[in-house]
Amino acid sequence: MTTTIELRNVSRWYGNVVAVNDISMTIGPGVTGLLGPNGAGKSTLLHLIAGFLPPSRGELTVGAVAAWRNPDIYRKVGLVPERDSVYAFLTGHEFVRATARLHDLPDPQAAAARAIAIVDMADAQNRRISTYSKGMRQRIKVAAALVHDPEVLLLDEPFNGMDPRQRLHMLDVLLRLGAEGRTVLLSSHILEEVERLAGTIQVIVAGRLAASGDFRAIRRLMTSRPHVFLVRTSDDRLLGSALIGSPAVSGVELTGGGLQVRASDYGTFSRQLAGIARDRDIRLRELLPEDESLESVFAYLLES
Amino acid sequence: MSVPPPPRTASPPAEPDPAAAVIQTAALTKQYPGPVTALDALTVTVEPGITGLIGANGAGKSTLIKILLGLLSPTSGQARVLGRACPADGEQIRMLTGYMPEHDCLPPDVTATEFVTHLGRMSALPPTAAKERAAESLRHVGLYEERYRQIGTYSTGMKQRVKLAQALVGDPRLLLLDEPTVGLDPAGRNSMLELISRIGAEFGISIVVASHLLGEIERICDHLVAIDGGKLLRADTITSMTQVRQVLMIEVDEGADQLMAELGRRGLQPRRYQRALLVHLEGDSTYDAVRDAVADLGLPLNRLEQRRRRVEELFQDEQAPDEPAAAIETPEASHVAIN
Amino acid sequence: MSLSTEPGGPGGAPPRARTETGVIHDIGYRRYTGRRVGRAQIVRALYWHSLRSAFGLGRGAKAKIVPVIAFGIMCLPAIANAVSVAQGNGRIVPYDTYQPQLRAVVMIIFIAAQAPELVSRDLRSHVLPLYFCRPLRRLDYPLAKLAALIMACLIVIEIPLLLLYLGTIVGAHGGTGIWDQTKALIPGLGVGLMWAVLLAAIGLVLASLSGRRAYATGTIAICFFLSFILSQVLIQVTQRNVTHAGPPPPGSKFIGSGPGPGPHEFIQVTQVPTTATHLSGLVSPFTILDGVRQWLGGTSTGPLPGVGSYGPLYGALLLVLLAASLAGLAVRYRKAGVA
Repeated sequence: MTTTIELRNVSRWYGNVVAVNDISMTIGPGVTGLLGPNGAGKSTLLHLIAGFLPPSRGELTVGAVAAWRNPDIYRKVGLVPERDSVYAFLTGHEFVRATARLHDLPDPQAAAARAIAIVDMADAQNRRISTYSKGMRQRIKVAAALVHDPEVLLLDEPFNGMDPRQRLHMLDVLLRLGAEGRTVLLSSHILEEVERLAGTIQVIVAGRLAASGDFRAIRRLMTSRPHVFLVRTSDDRLLGSALIGSPAVSGVELTGGGLQVRASDYGTFSRQLAGIARDRDIRLRELLPEDESLESVFAYLLES
Repeated sequence: MSVPPPPRTASPPAEPDPAAAVIQTAALTKQYPGPVTALDALTVTVEPGITGLIGANGAGKSTLIKILLGLLSPTSGQARVLGRACPADGEQIRMLTGYMPEHDCLPPDVTATEFVTHLGRMSALPPTAAKERAAESLRHVGLYEERYRQIGTYSTGMKQRVKLAQALVGDPRLLLLDEPTVGLDPAGRNSMLELISRIGAEFGISIVVASHLLGEIERICDHLVAIDGGKLLRADTITSMTQVRQVLMIEVDEGADQLMAELGRRGLQPRRYQRALLVHLEGDSTYDAVRDAVADLGLPLNRLEQRRRRVEELFQDEQAPDEPAAAIETPEASHVAIN
Repeated sequence: MSLSTEPGGPGGAPPRARTETGVIHDIGYRRYTGRRVGRAQIVRALYWHSLRSAFGLGRGAKAKIVPVIAFGIMCLPAIANAVSVAQGNGRIVPYDTYQPQLRAVVMIIFIAAQAPELVSRDLRSHVLPLYFCRPLRRLDYPLAKLAALIMACLIVIEIPLLLLYLGTIVGAHGGTGIWDQTKALIPGLGVGLMWAVLLAAIGLVLASLSGRRAYATGTIAICFFLSFILSQVLIQVTQRNVTHAGPPPPGSKFIGSGPGPGPHEFIQVTQVPTTATHLSGLVSPFTILDGVRQWLGGTSTGPLPGVGSYGPLYGALLLVLLAASLAGLAVRYRKAGVA
């Protein structure tokens, strides 16, 4: 059974500050990335979805039920906030088990053990949280959010403070949770990780939803921006002169690293390249899209 | 054409040999009551340039920094920074080193100018020099008129820049930057990484960047030191850790199955990997076969790339997932030359 | 490196009569080759910086309110004295105690408000690592802060004494008058010095316990006030009522009298200090200071009605308190970490 988060024209303001401005989106099962510059409204959005704040306007439902003033929502939703929100004097195990009891679970001990095993904190669970490193605190927070087996998991900067091994492990955990059909919404600044994790992204800029979907597809939609490629061949100059003859190409430049091509018509260019190279007996060694990464797409969305 | 250097007014602290190692440790060990072993017989040499420090957990990293700054004595082993012994020459080391902490460390109710100037005085600069160098440091990190406002009004990105400016104000020979991009959004991270690159390349200052983000490290660092559980995991140049492999990756937007079949027909034994196909790179003929296959089928080619090792592989327990089972890489495999 | 352009192209065109040149100046990073100051000067710079903070200088108008008002109130007795002397009377305020109640209250307020300015703010903003990663030694920091707070207290205590002195000698007759006043002033300045050193040390170590200024201020104020009140209560409670005929003995308080049974006899009831009373002053720094003052020969009345033979005990306790405060500061700042 999957849970969908649905927002329709949701706005949230504090006095004159409009933190979230008329956002409509649907978040389904799998891992979705929530991106945006600092102060764009991502944390507010997560708190709205978690039911901590009411929308000033619009409707927000989680599994077709309104999130606000609905304590039942907490059964379905797990939130991992950004700020340190753990009781440092408890041990990891005590903290997760207490959360399990707060959720009124029938077997808090087992639920806590299971959740702690998922985040691989079984070795350290009997130490006080005050002795944990930042990465370990993050993991115990995730365990507490998973203890009631929620269908929806909301995470605000979950990788903060984790070393590379912990990151890789958490990446696996989240991918697995997403593959299980849970709805995982993750807000992060580390785009190289979001790229790996999230099939869909939602980009928030200054409270407004700037783009949704697969970032490669979003890039293809930016037709007014030529796609930039770097090509390395056995004869860059010759290829350059051939490519500029094609209406799909708006510019070529010989750089130290190879031939930089601006393709105004991405689809045509990508189909033509191999043939043009073959016709002139040019060996293609490397073709790298330079602005298709999530980082570039994100930067472009902020510019517009 | 160069401008002659300004006349020296007084003798500065003895200049360390620019080619010598910047940091050297020998079997460096630190144990705390617990028993917690923060550092375990760490032997590593950090060359001039930009070096990434990864994997160290909180205790190991802060212990290492304290020992290098001469603030903590190791349980056993030695450490030298810029040719000086820790902790015996700690004061000299701290004069020549700039440190940018990870955590918030800025008072909210002073201006950046006042703050960096004051810390310049604390770095043994005379009053006028402190003012001048504070102004210069703030300019180099990109803080202009904001510097006259109180630090409490700054964004995270600006605060990180102030932290970097105070590390630069004393003209350090070595910068220790602890997670310099934490809390920054992607644009902020980009600027900070470019700034650090520029400092390392143009200012002639060696930099050690402690970070958990392998992408950053691969991007700006020349060398890497990876520590795991207090022990040295690996110390190497980034180049050698990101060497090319004899595998070629091909990405097409559609028709991957057709391409797979066609490449198979040409004897390349392709296999799938996420959105792409991988083939073993025999030589130039492989490139041509791929090009021709794609051209024949008229498929939209999105990416053609010789695979490289990634720093991340250090921390993965299994073999790289796209590794063919029996492939043996020759150590001197290098990127095929471009003529 | 500069680039310049000259007129006159390669084609041999004659140069223009008016030369036009352009220069791009190199404003890249500059090394610092000037002199560096020694550790003593760094400590001095921190001392001056802290002394300015103690009076709210460089921090906006609000920060100056308490120090200025405290100083102003402390000067009032000196001003009142000057007015009285101008009207032809003698000096009305003693040098060694000044106005003990007023002085105690003003110092409590001043130290409770300003000691946190010096140390709690740095603790709150976690800026200490930026000090300790510099050529400063660990204990230099509290040393500089303490020196600054002592000097600030000296300013608030001794300048009013000097004003008292100046206001009095204006009306003095000739050299002997001035010399008499000077002879009386010097011990008074000495008492003021004792006050400054002890109260600053206690106030600073209490302030260093908390990064929250409100808590630090509260802690200092409560400790000083409560201990003072306790000493006053104990003094009252431990004094004995003595009924006798004749004039009251020295050191006692006259509380009543009436006609006695015999002829020409006056029955007086006075309060006489007991041993316990002499010892009651040990619970508060203000009465300890008063005790030491009396032991060293101060004759004006103060909050402590006599030390009996316990003068040396008071002296010893003063030194113990001072040593404990200094030790507390050393322990506090040895722990403060870097990373």
